[in-house]
Amino acid sequence: MTGGKSSVSDLAIFGGPVTFEHPRSIGSLSDPDPEKLLRYSRVFYDRHWYTNNGPVNRMLEARLAEWHDVEHCITFASAFWGLSLAIRHLALAGRREVVTPSLTYRRMGEIIASAGMVPRFCDIDPDTLAQSAETTRPCVGEETALILGAHPTVDCCDAEGLERLSEETGVPLLFDSVESAYETTKGRRVGTFGRAEAFSMHATKLVNGFEGGYITTNDAALADHLDLMRGFGFRTQDQPAFFGINAKLNEIHAAAALASLDDLPALVQRNHRRYETYGQLLTAVPGISLRAFDEREQTSFKNVLAHLDEAWPLSRAATLAVLQAEGALARAYYSPPLHRTQPGFEIRFGELPVTERVTEEYVLLPCGDQVGASDIEAIVELLAFLYAHHSDVAEALESGRGAA
Amino acid sequence: MKKRVGDFALYGGGREFAVDLHVGQLYFPEWSRYEAAMRGIIERRYYTNHGPVVRELEERLEDYLGVRHAVTVVNATVGLYMTCVALGLHGKVMMPSFTFIATAQAAVLAGLDPVLCDVDPDTHHLTPATATAALEDGVTALCPVNLWGGSTDIPALVAWSAGHGVDLFFDSAHGFGVERLDGKLGRFGRAEVFSFHATKVMSATEGGCICTDDDDLADRLRNLRSNYGIRRSLEVPLTVNARMSEAQAAIALMSLDVFDERVEHNVEVLDAYRTGLQAVPGVRLVPPAEVVKSNHQSVVIEIDEGSYGLSRDGLWDVLRAEGVRARRYFSPGVHRSPPFDKQYPRFVEACPVTDRLCAAVLQLPVGALVTATDAEQIAGLVRDAHTHAAGLVARA
Repeated sequence: MTGGKSSVSDLAIFGGPVTFEHPRSIGSLSDPDPEKLLRYSRVFYDRHWYTNNGPVNRMLEARLAEWHDVEHCITFASAFWGLSLAIRHLALAGRREVVTPSLTYRRMGEIIASAGMVPRFCDIDPDTLAQSAETTRPCVGEETALILGAHPTVDCCDAEGLERLSEETGVPLLFDSVESAYETTKGRRVGTFGRAEAFSMHATKLVNGFEGGYITTNDAALADHLDLMRGFGFRTQDQPAFFGINAKLNEIHAAAALASLDDLPALVQRNHRRYETYGQLLTAVPGISLRAFDEREQTSFKNVLAHLDEAWPLSRAATLAVLQAEGALARAYYSPPLHRTQPGFEIRFGELPVTERVTEEYVLLPCGDQVGASDIEAIVELLAFLYAHHSDVAEALESGRGAA
Repeated sequence: MKKRVGDFALYGGGREFAVDLHVGQLYFPEWSRYEAAMRGIIERRYYTNHGPVVRELEERLEDYLGVRHAVTVVNATVGLYMTCVALGLHGKVMMPSFTFIATAQAAVLAGLDPVLCDVDPDTHHLTPATATAALEDGVTALCPVNLWGGSTDIPALVAWSAGHGVDLFFDSAHGFGVERLDGKLGRFGRAEVFSFHATKVMSATEGGCICTDDDDLADRLRNLRSNYGIRRSLEVPLTVNARMSEAQAAIALMSLDVFDERVEHNVEVLDAYRTGLQAVPGVRLVPPAEVVKSNHQSVVIEIDEGSYGLSRDGLWDVLRAEGVRARRYFSPGVHRSPPFDKQYPRFVEACPVTDRLCAAVLQLPVGALVTATDAEQIAGLVRDAHTHAAGLVARA
């Protein structure tokens, strides 16, 4: 018997009681300490300065730059607009393609399109689940304006390999490092690679600024340009120097991000415990394995990615449907891959055999501060139950009893 | 009172104001309300993605403005961009050059070419006549800007747009709460975009909303904004991140609670300016155009150098030295601002009224941090600068 479930009819998808009344998601959703949020808020409140690169934003930028061991940090209203402006600025003139993996953040094509560019999707390395210089090189040609390297959800891509490719081809390199804010790769801190790197401070990310994002760079001219671009391009009070929009981070979000940074070491410890709990418990469930973090590097242990092995007896869609009905909001890993989408803007891609092969194999399991040890036990028990009763579950789903 | 040129701070005298006074409303709720709102958000553990506070704000805005849909957004610039995309615009969009630069930037972000029109010298607004004079092939939309807590001649522009077969939407960044004889701003054209920037009378620190009575357009806007808060899934060219957070929405709700008080305060400040400036030659206090009730979030004066004795910039220098951070919105116009001046050189000499206004207009401090007494003192400085204009010019 598992969490009160003794037969498949006890599963929520077939009408049984849900395991989690309050759903457990894959977002970090760590709560800022209200006292710290309020203490940082006092800084802007007392100065009546609520946005437009206010004092708390400047404290945050200095703190983030130090944390990433980088010269410059520029915050934005969101990572979306930070990336969009960075792409617009860094893209080689007269060229339109931005090379990025197909197996990545679902809005990456949109970000590229919002910068007036066309995404070209490359394949990934099966070991890192990320693009490498080898998978990127075939996509770099006369039309390539920018390489947009994206780190995967567990560990990092070969950032140095992409730097060498950028140097070799003369195509600038920007990173989407949203999932790797805490990491080092080969001992070097993420935030210092390529021309620039972009991060998110959305509530579901490691640093919770409610909404927000930032870009790190060691390039002073680039930092200056992005600083102006997020504020309508204004160099002087009245006149813009070049194109810009409003992508400024407000002071409340900056205060929340600072409070979140204060809690980060403790959050990473909590994440580590969650990851270890999943790891220990999942060893007892055949057919599903945790994707391991490389613990030789600094890592946040934030995301819990599991592989459905050949021995796993249910489809990923069926597995997810059952879990989600229980309030365990596990998600398909970057699904569908972007080359299989049909957006309202142009996309380009060639053969992507590794992406095609691995795209159905991974699931992200609930994680973050709203998931406790007993929740993880319940989730793994559900998986064990699914394994044990897979024939009945599959039959019930096929007969149309569930919502799947 | 400045009795001689040497009394002005610009030339060594004492500053009128120890602490700078700014243009911009800069309202923020009192600390206890802010604290309660933040604690509530953290207790609910719901920070963004169309949470309960954003939903409440949208309902309150729809009710207050009498409009079917108020779609909140991260800021008004992104809101204008989304409106262009949601309307499916292509080619060229007409707008006044006498506007904040973001009107044109939003259109460019949406892949459109701005066509810059001149404005009426009295109202500062785009009119059917200035639109007709600037009309080009390939125009698919008109985006008039409702300025200074006033409004364009909306019925005339509705007729003009219909006559030319182009879409009409408004940049109403300045216009929240403004009432015309035929209703509040928010329900005109295909859509109107308001700003809730901290400098506006309705503040979310950053933020804005797009208002429309068109159900389909509203659903497209929600699909464009993000996947959260979608009432009906529709095909849109792309989905961006334009969400307003719970914290922003909380500030906006508290701002809406005291909106009428804020407007009353603006009126008191404005009255002090009016009294203090009425007898000063060459200074015109620009009234909000076309409206029965303004939000009075801007105090705008126009300087006629010939009768005032000093240029606008001369007065600006005097005031800044005294701690009066007056602003020269908009100077220069979009048509002379990078990158538009180089990208669209045909407009550089095409907006003579805008050029004249850009050299004559000044915004004076008003808002939560400015009192009627401050306004009297500032008006006194403007009077004194006129009295000593010849001496100030001689010293410059």
